[in-house]
Formats: sequence, structure tokens, C-alpha cells
Amino acid sequence: MAVVKVDKLARSVAEGPSLMTGSIPRKPWRNIPVVFKPGNYCYPTNPATLEYLDKQPGISFPNAREWSPEDDDWKLPENWKEIIINGLAERLGKFRSLKIFMDCCVRCGACADKCHFFLGTGDPKNMPVLRAELLRSVYRQEFTRAGKILGRLAGGREMTVGVLKEWFMYAYQCTECRRCSVFCPYGIDTAEITMMLRELLHLVGVGINWAMGPVTNSNRTGNHMGLTPQAFKGNIDFLCEDLENLTGIHIEPTYNRKGAEVLFITPSADVFAEPGLFTCMGYLLLFEAIGLDYTWSTYASEGGNFGLFTSNEMMNKLNGKMYAEAKRLGVKWILGGECGHMWRVVHQYMDTMNGPADFLEVPKSPITGTVFENAKSTKMVHISEFTADLIYNGKLKFDKSRNSHVKATFHDSCNPARAMGLLEEPRYILDHVVDNWVEMPENTIREQTFCCGSGTALNTDEIMELRMRAGLPRANAVRYVADKHAVNMLACVCAIDRATLTTLMNYWNPDVEVCGVSELVGNALVIEGEKRADLTEGLRTMVF
Amino acid sequence: MVAGLKEILLTNKEKILSLWIDRTLSSYIASDFFKSSGDRFANPVGANIREGLTRLFEQMLDKAGPEKMLAPLDQVIRIRAVQEFSPSQAVAPILELKWVVRQVLTAGKKKRPPATELDNFDCDVDKLGLLAFDLYTECREQLYKNRIHEIKSGRSILTDSACASALADNKKTGCTGVEIS
Repeated sequence: MAVVKVDKLARSVAEGPSLMTGSIPRKPWRNIPVVFKPGNYCYPTNPATLEYLDKQPGISFPNAREWSPEDDDWKLPENWKEIIINGLAERLGKFRSLKIFMDCCVRCGACADKCHFFLGTGDPKNMPVLRAELLRSVYRQEFTRAGKILGRLAGGREMTVGVLKEWFMYAYQCTECRRCSVFCPYGIDTAEITMMLRELLHLVGVGINWAMGPVTNSNRTGNHMGLTPQAFKGNIDFLCEDLENLTGIHIEPTYNRKGAEVLFITPSADVFAEPGLFTCMGYLLLFEAIGLDYTWSTYASEGGNFGLFTSNEMMNKLNGKMYAEAKRLGVKWILGGECGHMWRVVHQYMDTMNGPADFLEVPKSPITGTVFENAKSTKMVHISEFTADLIYNGKLKFDKSRNSHVKATFHDSCNPARAMGLLEEPRYILDHVVDNWVEMPENTIREQTFCCGSGTALNTDEIMELRMRAGLPRANAVRYVADKHAVNMLACVCAIDRATLTTLMNYWNPDVEVCGVSELVGNALVIEGEKRADLTEGLRTMVF
Repeated sequence: MVAGLKEILLTNKEKILSLWIDRTLSSYIASDFFKSSGDRFANPVGANIREGLTRLFEQMLDKAGPEKMLAPLDQVIRIRAVQEFSPSQAVAPILELKWVVRQVLTAGKKKRPPATELDNFDCDVDKLGLLAFDLYTECREQLYKNRIHEIKSGRSILTDSACASALADNKKTGCTGVEIS
């Protein structure tokens, strides 16, 4: 074995060839095969989960099996190619938008540098135009005359196992946040292309456990966490005990109560895990303060809908559950908590899937009399709209000094911002409940907001590095206001955000915590008869 | 002609930084975009690496201690620690500065720094390299802490336990899903 002489080594470092070897091959994108290694892929679905789901009425998840992305052989069904091509044909016939998106892209490049995955990884296949090209090239080859004749010359590409693997890699490096769509002159919704890629992959039993686990749980118990009705009620009752200790306010929420005026639905993470728990405490205090006639449901105990990240049929079914429960309980309308993608489903898909919800009434605030015309079709109002209306009509009393420990900034959660246009209400609320909050830079907020990097069921720990680099553009903007304005709290209106931004901040900006807007409302709310201790950290204060 | 190293480095600051930043960003396949877009929010990788390396070089000229080096070093290493680089590739840009400085100084042969001064400079770069190694390790530890934190938060029950739904189904509990009419 050669003995390395330190002085010689030092000289070779300084005078020899450069140390920068690079890490990424430089070949045309078509010629770069995907390589799966620990950290860059999500674990595949547990076969038992998939088998269970496949047996459920109205949905289909065939070809359950043990397989690993790292293996050469994915144990695909023998006729996998036929299944994929037929599946694509079926979807082109069913969804006119898909056909248009396949045909109308002119490759102008406006979307190319807008994706947080591209900005964090520098991988061209994360440019939305190229991610879509992974599907579009197969579409051209199989479904256009030019592609059938000219093949590659017309931008076509044969569907191979390598292409399928590429689909799996990049369909799960997209959070369907739709930032790219804001910049597309043709309005191509790249999220829907990702949705189609994922649907097609499910046809051959290729999916991820972090999506299908919550879907299965939701299908069975009504929520992602798989909380039984007893556990769901127990958790909320526990929060009420905490609230009584903190504020002296005694709250007795009702569950599955027929005849309540309003059904309240929020992500189950709000009743299960920090920091969502504090947001939930905010809801409970608010409803108590105004005497709202509302009920929780242990059946529709989930606002989130991982069906959106899975398949059209699954999304339809999970969304239908909320309306079925509203009908069963005989409520007038539904109030929805701080969830992200629930609002995309409700705002953009619910009406065609399960609407019209004509057994419900157009939502009208029982406190202010405001009629929410914007929700007259879906009959579902966002908690921020509801709260902002209460504030506007002078129905709430706040003491901002109770949030004096907070210097906040506001993260527009992708779906409420881009899929339902909820931009002003959370800001209006913040203006009234905290003294100090600042905006992040213009090109990182509102419609241009950057994703947390872990949405669409990518908030799983085995891809932590990928999540951190995808979340860099968001974290980078937070860092700016943290440095400039000593911001210590990142407020948002999404349960996935509350979980994933917490992890993201731990890595990039450890001095910044994450909260829901309703937590800040709960902190500042002045309620008649309260006996608040000195809560130096608001509802997070530990009281013994 | 012999001149002080600091003076020479100052004179060539722009050239050195330009080459150093260019070579570092060349390690990305989308290097053209990372090099060209100047908006720090639209191009966080390019902007942070550019700013971090610039600040590092300035601090080195000022003979700043490690405490002042940490923030700019963090700007570069924290990003590379979560990208698809091997550990050595992630910290390589720091040691690359030796190569960059020699490239630039060889091009302008009129003023040569004394060899001992250059040795000292190399030594400073080595120290910075070691600091980068510490920082890289800290970043990776933070990643694993994040994973542990998420697992401990209980959310892993979503996926890491046996499929409760399948079990319920097997036990013939009658729980076979929800019919939506």
C-alpha cells in the first residue's frame, strides 16, 4: 500500500487538478436514467394496505406486492405497458383538460425556474415543463399522428420500464403546489399532470406508503391518523381541560350532534399533534367566545383528503364523506378549519364530484348575519373568512399584548392562496391580533408563495434531504425576514404546513417556530368570565 | 517583484471571486440558471453561494476568526449538505480556493507573493475546510434529528404500523369502508 506523504498531498491539492468533480452527469435528459438510492424516494405502499383498499367499493388499487424502487425488477404485471397506455387513453377521453395540457404547451420556459424542487435541486427534470414532458413524450408517441410516424423526431418516446421509473421519481418530486401554473401563459395546471402520472402508476401497483396509509385510515375511521371516535373525542376533551387550566374557560364541545347549525371539520392533525393542537385550541376558544351552535363529527373527522394525491375516485369518495355526514346530521352548512388541500378539493372539484350540496343552506354567520355568497355552491366556509367577518363586525375583543412574544410573518399556504384566492382574510386577522408582523418578499408570497416542499404526501421522513432542498426557497425568504426583522413565528393556514414547516425551520431557521393563524387568535381573544394566567407563550404556556 | 499577499488578493479580488463562484456553481447541472439569476429569492442556491463565498473571502482577507466565518460558511454548506453531493463534494468548494488563487496569480506573473505568505494562506483555507467539515456534520446530524423528531411526534403510526384497516377487515368486524351514495 502506498504511503501518502502529507506535504505531497497538500501540494497536489493546491497545484494539481481542481477538486471540483461535480456530481451530476452532463448528458441530454433523455439519456440520464434515474437512480434510486436511500433518501431520494418514498417507501412503496404496504401490500396489505393496498389489498384492503382494492376491496373497497368504488375504488381500485390493483397489483399489490412487495417491491423496492432500488431493485431492477419492480415486479410489474406482465402486461404493464398495455395497462399504462390504455389507462392514458381512458384519461385522455375522460379529462378534456389533460388532452389540452398535452397539446398546448409551446415550451416557452416561463414555468422552468418557478418550481421549488428545481430551485433546490438544480435538476432539469424538476422544471415543470420537463416533468410534464415525461408524460407528453409518451402521449406524442402513442396518441399523435406525427409521433406514431416520426417517433423521436416528433418528440415522441417509447414507454419503457425506464420511463416508468422516471415517472415514479418525478411524480413524487412535485407537491402539486401549482406555482408554475401562475406563470404559464396557457394556464397549464402541471399539478393535474402529476395527478395523472400518479394515477397511471397506481394502475400497476406503484405508489407510496405515506399517501396510501392516510387514505386507508381515512376510508376506515374517517381520519388520516386512524383515530377511533373515542380517541378523537378524548383528544379534544383533553385540549378543553388544558384550555380551562390556561384561561379558566370551561368548554364542552359536542360530537355527532344532530340538529346543530354548523358542522366543523378540520385536519385530524389539529387534534393530534403539535403545533396543530394549539391551532385547535384557538378554534375551541373562538367558538366558545361567540356561542356558536356547532358540532364535531367523529365520522367526518378529517379535513385533509389524500385522495387528491392518489386518484380521482379516491378523492371523490373521501370528499363525499364530509357531505354525507352534513346531510346525516342535518346541519345548515359546514365550517372548515385551517387545512390546505381540503380547500382545493372543495373549491375546484367538489361541485363536479359530489355537488351540488343542495340539502344544505347558503352559509350565513349566525353571529353577524353575513351571507357567504362565495360558498353558495359548496356550502363550506373557511375559518379565516368566518373569523375575519367576526372581526369586521366588531364581535370579537382582542388584547394584542398577549401576543407580544410573537414577531410573525405569514406563509400563504399553496392551496388556500392559489386554489381559492384566500389572500386577504388571514392578513386582516393578523392585523387585529398581533402588534408585530411583517411580509416576506413580494415574489415569495400570495399567488407566488413557495411551497413548504413536503405537500402531497411527501411529508415522510425517509426523504428528509429532498424535503429540505425543496423547502429551501420558502426557508430562504423566512431567513430574510428573521434576519431583518427578528421574526420568530411563521404563521400559516394549513395542517401539513404546520407539521412540515416546523421541520423545515428546525433545519434552516431554528429560531423560528410555526403556528396556525387561529392559535394567534386564541392567544389574543378576550372572553367574558375568563381567568387567564400570565401566559408568556400564549396557549403554548405550560401551566402546572 | 515581491508584494504583500493581502494586497495582491485585494487587487485580484474580483477575478478570484468570479472564478471561485463560477467553479462552485458549475457543480450543478442547472449551473447556467444558478449563475445568471440575480434575484436572491428566485434563485436561492445561486444567490446564497455567491454571497457566502464573497463574504468568506472578505473575512479571510481581514484575518477574521472562526466565529465570523461561520455565518457565510453556513450559507454555502447548509445548502450543499442536503443536495446530491458526496460529503467530499459538498465541502470541496472551500479547498478549491487554493486552486483558484493560484490560477489567478499565475495568470498575472508580475506580482508574486512570497512563498511563506502563500503557505499561510493555504493554512487558512485548510482551517476553513475543517470548519466546513464540522458544519457539514452538524447539518447532517440535524437532518437525522428531524427524522427522529417526526417519528417521535407519533405521525409514523400513519404508515409504520401494521395496516390497521386490513387487520380490521380480516377480523370480519364488518368495517369494510364507507359507501357514498
